Formats: sequence, C-alpha cells, structure tokens
Amino acid sequence: MSENSANGISRFTVELGVAALTGAFGVAVCYGSLDIGAGWSEMGPDAGYFPFYIGLLIVFGSLVNIVQAFLKHRGTGEVFIDAGRAKVVASFLLPLIAFGAIAAWLGLYIGTAIYIAATMFFQGRYKWWIALPAGLGVSLAFFLIFEIGFQVPLLKGPVEAWFGIY
Amino acid sequence: MENIGLLIDGFGHILSWNHILLMMVGVTLGILVGVLPGLGAPNGVSLLLPLTFSMDPISAIILLSCMYWGALFGGSTTSILFNIPGEPSSVATTFDGYPMAKAGQASRALTLAFVSAGLGALAGVVMITLLSGWVANFALKFSSPEYFAVYFLAFASFISMGAQSPFKTLVSMMLGFALASIGMDTISGNLRLTFDIPELIKGVSFLIAVMGLFGIGELLLTTEEGLRFEGIKARVKLAEIGRTLVEIPRYWLTIARSTIIGIWMGITPAGPTAASFMSYGVARRSARDKSMFGKGDPRGVVAPETADHSAGTSALLPMLALGVPGSATAAVMMGGLMIWGLTPGPMLFTDRPDFVWGLIASMYLGNVVAVFLVIATVPLYASILRVPFSIIGPIIVAVIFSGAYQVANSVSDIFLVIGFGLIGYVFKKLDYPLAPLVLAMVLGDKAEDAFRQSMLMSGGSLDIFWSNALVAGLMTLGLALLLSPLAFWLIGTLRKRRHDAAPHGDGNAAA
Repeated sequence: MSENSANGISRFTVELGVAALTGAFGVAVCYGSLDIGAGWSEMGPDAGYFPFYIGLLIVFGSLVNIVQAFLKHRGTGEVFIDAGRAKVVASFLLPLIAFGAIAAWLGLYIGTAIYIAATMFFQGRYKWWIALPAGLGVSLAFFLIFEIGFQVPLLKGPVEAWFGIY
Repeated sequence: MENIGLLIDGFGHILSWNHILLMMVGVTLGILVGVLPGLGAPNGVSLLLPLTFSMDPISAIILLSCMYWGALFGGSTTSILFNIPGEPSSVATTFDGYPMAKAGQASRALTLAFVSAGLGALAGVVMITLLSGWVANFALKFSSPEYFAVYFLAFASFISMGAQSPFKTLVSMMLGFALASIGMDTISGNLRLTFDIPELIKGVSFLIAVMGLFGIGELLLTTEEGLRFEGIKARVKLAEIGRTLVEIPRYWLTIARSTIIGIWMGITPAGPTAASFMSYGVARRSARDKSMFGKGDPRGVVAPETADHSAGTSALLPMLALGVPGSATAAVMMGGLMIWGLTPGPMLFTDRPDFVWGLIASMYLGNVVAVFLVIATVPLYASILRVPFSIIGPIIVAVIFSGAYQVANSVSDIFLVIGFGLIGYVFKKLDYPLAPLVLAMVLGDKAEDAFRQSMLMSGGSLDIFWSNALVAGLMTLGLALLLSPLAFWLIGTLRKRRHDAAPHGDGNAAA
C-alpha cells in the first residue's frame, strides 16, 4: 500500500486489517449460528438465536471502524510498528511460539528449562553455566510449587515417562 | 443493625491463623504481580484460580481477593519508584509520585500512596457492608427480563463511558460474547460455532483469554517499548513514615472527594482506571495552587490512589449482589465463584451468608494486612525490578503457559494463549479496550440465558423489557447511556458549525 513508508507499517493499514478480520469473524459467527438454527423452535429460541445477533453487531461495529479508519488514520503518517521495533518484538515472540511447540511435544517442565536457558544464553548473553542451571532451577521450582505444593499436575512428556515420573 | 451482626459473624468465620496466613500469601503474590510488568491483577488472579479448585470457597476467595489488594498496592509502588505503572489504574499516580520520589521524597510519596489507598479501600468496604444486603434484597425481586436489563445497562455504560471509540468497545465486547457462546449450548445441548474443530467443543475459557490478552500481550508491548528501569533507591525510613502520617489529615478533602468518585466508578463498571484519572483531574482543577501538580504535589498522589482503591473494592458490590462485576479482575473472580459452584447474585446472600460476610470481613482485614506488608517489603520488590528483563520476561511466559495448561489440562490452550496474546498486543496498540471483552466472556452465558428465558416468557416479543416500571427504567437508562455518545457528538458538531458560521459572534467563547 502506498500508505506504507519504507520504515514500517502504517497504523491505517493495521486498523483496516483488524476491522476486516473482526468483520470476517462476525460473518463466521452469523454463518455458524444460521447453521445450527437461529430461529424459533418448540423449546423457544434456537441455539443460534442469540449468537446470530452478536455476529451482526460485530459486523456492524467492524464496518463503522473501517469507515473511522479512513476518517481518522488515513494519511496521518502514524506508524504502527517500524522495522527496528518489529525485530525486537519478533525476538521475543518467536522463541515464545517455539516454547509452545516444544512444550506440546516434550512437556512443560522440559520446555520451560530449555526456553529459559536458551533465552538467557542467546538473548541475555549469559554464559552457559549460568543459563543452564537457571533454566533447570525454574523448572524444578515449578515442579515443587505445582506438583507437590498445590498438587496440580503440569503437562509431562516422554522424558518424564522415561524417568518414571507421572 | 442487621448487617453489623452479620459482619461480626463473618469475622468469626475468617479469624484463624490459616486464613491470616492465606491473606499474607495472597497480598505478597499480589504485590509481586502488581510490580512485575506484564502481570497485572486480572492476570494474577487468573493464574492463581486453577490452584484454588481444591480449596474450600472461603479460603479460596480470601487468597484471590487479597491478591487483588496486593496487586493494586504493587502497581502504585512501581509508579512512584520507577515511573512505570505496574497496573493501568496506577498511571495517574506516576504524574506526581515519580517527581516526588526523584526529589528525594520516595518514602513520603509511598507512605502517602499506601495510606490513602488503604483509606479508600476501607471506605469502599464500609459502603459494601452497609449497602450489599439492601441491594441484594432489592435484586431478589428480579426475574429474567430484569437481569437482562441489568446486564444491558452494564454493557451500555461501558460503551458510553469508555475512553475509547464506542464502536471499538462494541466490537471488543461482542467478540467476548461470541467467544463465550462457543462450545456446548447450556439450554439445548447443541454444539455451537465449533466449525467441526474438536478443540473448540469444550469452549474457550475466559481465563485463557485473560492470560493471553493481559499477560502475553502486555509482555509484547513491554519488549517493544524497551523497558528500562531507572529506579530510585527506596529505603523507607520509620521517622518519615511517622511524619507523613501526621500530614495525612490535611488532605481530608481530597481523600473524601476521591473516595466518592472511586465508589461511584467502582459500582458502575467504569472501573479503577477511569476513577483514578478522574479523581486526579478533579483534584487538580479544584486546587487553589495548581503550580505543583505534575511536579510532585502530594495531592496528586493521594487523589488517584484513594480513588483507585475505593473503586477496586467497590467493584465487588455489584459482583456479589447482582452478579455483574465492576472491573476485569472482579469478572475473573466471579468466574471463579461459578467454578467453585457458587452463583453470584442476590441468592448468594441467603444461601451462603458465611461466604459473603466472610469475604467482606476479609476485605477489612486484608487491606490492613496489605498496608503493613507493602510498607515493610517495598525495598525487596524494588530490587526484583533490577533483575534484567531477559530473565524476568521468560519466567513470566513460563508461568503463564503453566497456568494456561492447568485451566483444563489441555495442550491446545497453550496455543490459544499465544493467539490471545497477539490479539491483546494489536488491540492495545489500536486502542481497542480489553476489559469489555473479558467481562462479556464471563457474563456471556448468563446474559444469554436471561435473554432467552425472557423471550420464552413473552413468546418472542421484545415488549417484555418494557412490561413493568423496574425493567423499563433499567432498559431506558441503558438505552440513554448507549445513545449518549451520539448525542454528545451531535451537540459538538452543531456547536462547531454554528461557531464556523459566525466566527466573530462571540470570540471569547472560542478561546
């Protein structure tokens, strides 16, 4: 878009994008509600009766937001995020997503230990002999607090099973 | 008075070492989440909630409500010492608190903040003690249409009183309702809006939404802004505390005014953030000597703190008596009550008086405990903030992921939290308010049930919402609030047009 300058995404673009996404969600809600019946059954209002109007209101609000984006944010030169900041946010967000994926596969204890050690080592520039024990320490603290203190289990993976911890 | 007797019974229920210990744990954890960036009161309460499922409800609510008080205090601490509000509601405290601390009056500013906050909170609890029974009795007359009207009023006031664009508030709120309706329909048993995705059958928990929106979203914002703590060495000196305590009565007018603002904003769902800003504004406007405001005027600390805490406590009145929470944190706590098998609302006062009055009694005690604990532990928490963000940030993420998994022992919730985090980040940057979304997610099912039962009673006609004076009054008030932004906008443009047409008419009014 011509609104975008070389150094970032304009707020106008993001305003439009978000309003379009919420609008699409609203349409999906309406569609889903009609699918299960948004009318009147012998038992009174159908299951989709209430959500259908909610969906309509989302669509309505999103349309107004699109109009307001044009009125308030077009050509103002407001930047949503520039390249430098986007890099900083990504450096936090991507490891976080990787953590989610590792946790789903190896469990939250191993995931936590790897995540904390890795972020400390790569981003905090700590030596590995500080980062690794710190990661393991946090993981162990979680085990003591959740598993033993409050008796709520956390997600465990193949590694714990291998050690016989359930 | 009847309420006083019930309150004394309430104290009887909670006065045990066990409960006092829980209060201290709650307040300590609360201060911690209040101080840490990315963890606020709603988030902290959400994270702690799964851990209370096995506790008895009285202990659990003591722990959670004390965490709330602690978080409110913790937020003010960072505002004053680091110029970083730990909570949105303590933004106004930074205006004068940080300049005071910079001028070497850190202990004075902190003591002023904590004591006036404590006074505000106590005033809120006294109000709850006196009014809750009466409000609950009144609400016992409510049936489904009245309940729907109360919910409607609450949501309408969000749209009209919010600082953000009313349409952004509308979208945010309706997204909350839509998310709440995902999964099994409680009345017909049908599956709704699952789009054949098996993970959606159990629905989307509001706890996951809070953890993502407020937790991960806030952390992303914090990283983007490149957080730097330029803290002020805080050593709270006893002599200075004493001197400040003597000074407090001088601010009685500011405290009284801020308390009233706070209580009003807390009962109506405007919440603590709006209350603290408004109270700060009123204090500045009504001060005879405005020159010190923004440069370290003690009234600029007292006013927002008193209002923040009185609003925070008052927010529990509509939650307990009507089942309509007054703030995002109160909404999360209300969700907790429902998970423990209690139904917030007027019936709670007759069904479980021990719980209600135990909670109210714990609010008196918890706030006193909080004031002492926070004064004693300020230096400790100040040192936590000197730990680099590259350690604190990932630990907070790990805590949030663990909390998200514990809500329903489900792996998909971990990814849902990341998704909500992204939404929270983008919404925050575009000024979409998040509190209405959370409130709608918690109240969604109840509002829908009230609406559908009303429709059943009337056979599908909307006339039922105008069938008697009470429900008609509530609905009319709600509609008036809903339309008020439009009216203000129209008046504004008309004035402007008239002004443009006659630019030399009365020139003084323009300036």
